[in-house]
Amino acid sequence: MEVVLAARGITKRFPGVLALDRVDLEVPGGEIHAVLGQNGAGKTTLMNVLFGLVQPDEGALFLHGRRVEFRSPHDALTHGIGMVHQTRRLVAAHTVLENIVLGHPRVRGVLSLRDARVEVAALCRRYGVGLDLGARVWQLSEGERQWVEILKALYRGARVLILDEPTSVLTPPEAAALLAGLQAMVRGEGVTALLVTHKLPTVMSACDRVTVLRAGRVVGRLRTAEATEDLLVRYMVGRDVAPGPAGPSGAPGRRVLEVEDLACLGDRGVAALRGVSFALREGEILGIAGVAGNGQEELAQVLAGLRPATAGRVRLDGRDITRLPPVARWALGVGYIPAERTEVASIGAFSLVDNTALTYHFDPAYVRRGLLDDAGLARLTRRIIDGFDVKVPHPYARARQLSGGNLQKMILGRVLSRAPRVLIAHLPTQGLDVEATAFVRAQLREAAAGGAAVVLISEDLDEIVALGDWVAPIYEGRFVAWLGREQADPETVGAMMAGRRREWAAAR
Amino acid sequence: MGCGPVRLGRHELTLEPRQAPPAGYTVLTAVAAIVAALALASVLFLSADASPAAAYRAIFSYAFLNPHGLAATVHRSIYLLFCTYAFLVPLRAGLWNIGLPGQVYAGGLAAFAVPLLLWREPPGAPAPAVVIALMIAAAAAAGAAAGGIAGVLRARFQVNEILVTMMLNSILFWVVAYMVKEGGPFMGATAEGESFTLPAPLRAPLWWGVPFTAAAALGAAALLDLLFARAALGYRIRAFGESPAAARYGGVNPAATSLLVFLLGGAFAGLAGYHNFAAIPGVYKIPGNYGYYGDLGFYGMISALIARGSALGAVPIAFLFGGLSLGARFAQGALRLPFGVDYALLGLLMMTFIGSHVLQAFRVVWRRRAAAAPEAVVGGLPGA
Ligand SMILES: Nc1ncnc2c1ncn2[C@@H]1O[C@H](COP(=O)(O)OP(=O)(O)O)[C@@H](O)[C@H]1O
Ligand SMILES: [Mg+2]
Repeated sequence: MEVVLAARGITKRFPGVLALDRVDLEVPGGEIHAVLGQNGAGKTTLMNVLFGLVQPDEGALFLHGRRVEFRSPHDALTHGIGMVHQTRRLVAAHTVLENIVLGHPRVRGVLSLRDARVEVAALCRRYGVGLDLGARVWQLSEGERQWVEILKALYRGARVLILDEPTSVLTPPEAAALLAGLQAMVRGEGVTALLVTHKLPTVMSACDRVTVLRAGRVVGRLRTAEATEDLLVRYMVGRDVAPGPAGPSGAPGRRVLEVEDLACLGDRGVAALRGVSFALREGEILGIAGVAGNGQEELAQVLAGLRPATAGRVRLDGRDITRLPPVARWALGVGYIPAERTEVASIGAFSLVDNTALTYHFDPAYVRRGLLDDAGLARLTRRIIDGFDVKVPHPYARARQLSGGNLQKMILGRVLSRAPRVLIAHLPTQGLDVEATAFVRAQLREAAAGGAAVVLISEDLDEIVALGDWVAPIYEGRFVAWLGREQADPETVGAMMAGRRREWAAAR
Repeated sequence: MGCGPVRLGRHELTLEPRQAPPAGYTVLTAVAAIVAALALASVLFLSADASPAAAYRAIFSYAFLNPHGLAATVHRSIYLLFCTYAFLVPLRAGLWNIGLPGQVYAGGLAAFAVPLLLWREPPGAPAPAVVIALMIAAAAAAGAAAGGIAGVLRARFQVNEILVTMMLNSILFWVVAYMVKEGGPFMGATAEGESFTLPAPLRAPLWWGVPFTAAAALGAAALLDLLFARAALGYRIRAFGESPAAARYGGVNPAATSLLVFLLGGAFAGLAGYHNFAAIPGVYKIPGNYGYYGDLGFYGMISALIARGSALGAVPIAFLFGGLSLGARFAQGALRLPFGVDYALLGLLMMTFIGSHVLQAFRVVWRRRAAAAPEAVVGGLPGA
C-alpha cells in the first residue's frame, strides 16, 4: 500500500518540554491509522504539526513521497488534509450547512447556500451520513456534531482526515457508530484516517495499524492484527501495569472514623444527605458508589469540614469533630482529595511549592515566627515529585502547566504527605490514563495498608468493587446497603445505585 | 491562544501570551510608558499654544527640583503610598477597596477628634507625644472601622464590597462637611468650611524637614512585601485572592480573611488621612477642598495595580504621580494652560502604564493569515 502521508524526524520543543523527539510516522493510504499514547505523550502536538498548526523545530513532512511544508492549516487543506480537533470548533447557533460551508475558501462575498446545499447533500449520500442540514448545531448530539466536523473537512476536499480523540466525548453507541462510519468511508472511498486515541479497544477494533508514542518518542509501530491489548499497554506505559484487585487490604485495626446519622443541605438549600451512618477501622477502604448528585459530594465536604452538618455526628479516633473547621481537621489527620483538581485542590497560578503550602501553611513544622519555611516546603515538594513520579521540569513550575494525571499525582502526594488518619478521595481517577489510574489506586491501597481509613467515592463500579473492603451504594442522600467485598458484585451495586433497594446485607 | 485576532486583509494581528517576560524588561516598559505619556501630553500643550518643552520644564523643575515643589511632592507621595497600601492589601485577596476616600476622611476626623477631646493649653496639658500617638492610633482605627464595615458585610453576607465602600464614601464625605461647617464641632476659628488648626505641639515631628510618616510609609512597604512573599498570613491572603475555593479547601477562613484585609487596608487609608491633614507642614487642618484629596487617593489604587501588588514597586510610581500632579498644577498656573492638565497627564500615564502591561504579558504577532483558519469558537459547547 502506498504511503500517503509521512513525517520524518519531527522534533518539537515547548519551554521545558520536549513534546516530540525525532518522530517518524508513515500512514499508508486507505487505512485507519491509530496514534496511541498516554496523556502528554505528544499526540496532539504531532497532529498539529501534520495540519500546519504547529511548526516543528526539526524534521520534514512528505505527501505521496514529495516534500511539503505547511505554514498554516490553509496549506494543509489545499493539500487535502483535514482535521477534526479535540475541542469542538462549531458555531452553535448556526445550521449544520452553514457550519460546513463557513470559512471555505470558495465562499467569498456572496454565499450561495443553495449550491452548497446540493454539494453537501451529495457528500452525505456518498459517505452515508444521515444529518439534517437545516438543524442548528446546538440541537445536535455530540456524535452528530462530530460528523459535522468530518463533513466540513471533506467538503474542503480532504482526503486524509486527522481525528484527535474523536470518541472521548461520545457515548459508547455514538462512538461505535462513528467508528463504523469511518471504516465505511475508508474502505469504500479511499479516504485515509489518522485516529488519535488512548483507548485500546478503539485501536483494536477499528484501526489497521498503530503507532505508539511515549513521552514524545515513537516506541511501537505495528499492525493491529498482530497486536494485543497487553502488548499495546506495555508500549504505552513502558512496563507492565499491575492488574486490578489484590487481596484484602491488610488486617483492620482500631475504629478511626465514626459517622452517625449525618445530614446536610446541598447548594440549593434542599436536603442532600439524609442520615448516613457508618464506621471504618484502620486499614479499611469504603467504596461509596453512586450516580453524581446523590449526596456523595456533600458527604465528602461535610467530612472535610467544608459544609456544615444539619444533624448527626462525625468522630475521628473517638473525638467529636462535627463542628471543627477544615484547618483543624487537616491538623488532626483528615485528608481530602476533591473531584475538582483545578478549581479546588490546586491553584493554577501558584508554583507547586506554593501549592504544597495549601495544606501546610498552618503547620508549626513549616511556619517559623509567622514566616513560611520555603526551603522546607521546596524539599517536601521535591520529595512528592520524586516519590509520585510527577513529570514536571522543577518544583517552581506553575500548577496549571501540569497535565491532569500529573496534577492528580501531585495532589495525592501532598495529601498523603500529611499521613492522614482518614483519606476521603472523590473521583480520584476520573479522566486519568491507564498508568496514572493504576498508580492512584495503588496509592489508595497503600494508604489503607499504612493504617488510614479510606473513603473512596466513585462512579466507576469496577474501581469501587476492586478497592472497597466495604461497598455502600448511595442513592438520594442515603446508603442503600452496606455490602462486604464478597457481596458487592457489579450488577447488585449497579442496581442499587439506580435506586433499587435490595435486602440489607451485613449491616453493622 | 491569546485574544481574538484583528484581521487586516490577508494578515492578522494577535496578542499571544509571553512565556516569561525577560528580567529588566519590566523597568524598560515602565520607562517607555512614561515617555509615551509625556509625548502624548504634548498634544495637550500644543493645542493650548504652549511649547511642550516649556511645559515639561515647568512641570519637572517644580515637582522635582524646586525646594518647595520637591517637599510637596514628597508629602503627596507619602499620602499616595498609604492609599496604595489601602488598596493593595484587599487586592491581594481579590477584593476591591473602592472606599479609600471614605476611609481617609474617617482617619482625618478621628485624628482631629483626639485633640478636640484631650488637648488643654499648657498648664495641665497632656504630654504631646501621647496625644500624637493617640491621634495616629485613632486615625488607623477609624479607617479600619470604615473598611471593616465593608469587610463584615462581605464576609458575613456576601454583599459586594464595591457598592458598600462607594456608599460609605459619600456618607463620610458629608459627615466631614457637617463637622467642619460653621457651627460644627470641628469648625475652624477663622475660616469657614475648614477644621480648626492643630495646636503647634501636636504637629507631627519632622525628621530632616520631612514628617516621620515618610519612614512609616517606606517601612510599611518593606513589611508588606515581606508579608506577601514569606509570611503564612500573606500566603493565606494570596491563596484566597487566587482561588477562594482552593483556599477554603486548604483551611483558610474566608470570612476572617475578607475582614482582615479590609481592616488592614482601612487602617492604611486612615493613616493616609492622618498624614495628609495632621502631618504635612503648612497644612495641619482638614481644608475646605478635602474632597480633592479623597479623589486623589484613587491614584493610590492605580499605583497598586501598576506595581502589580508590590508595595516597594509602588514607591517610585507614587512618587512620580505625586510629582506630576503637583508639577502640572503649577505649570497650569504659570503657563495659563487649560484647567485639568494635571488630571489629563495622570490619566495618560495610567493608560500608557496599562498598555505597557499588556505588551509585557503578551507579544504582538503579525502574520499572514490562513484563509481557512478555524472559525470562532462559541463557548458553552460540551467538550469545548
Ligand atoms: N502550546 C504548548 N506549550 C507548552 N507545552 C505544550 C504545548 N502543547 C503541548 N505541550 C506539552 O507537550 C506535551 C505533549 O502534549 P500533547 O501533544 O497535548 O499530548 P497528548 O495529546 O498526547 O496528550 C505535554 O507535556 C504538554 O504539556
Ligand atoms: Mg491530546
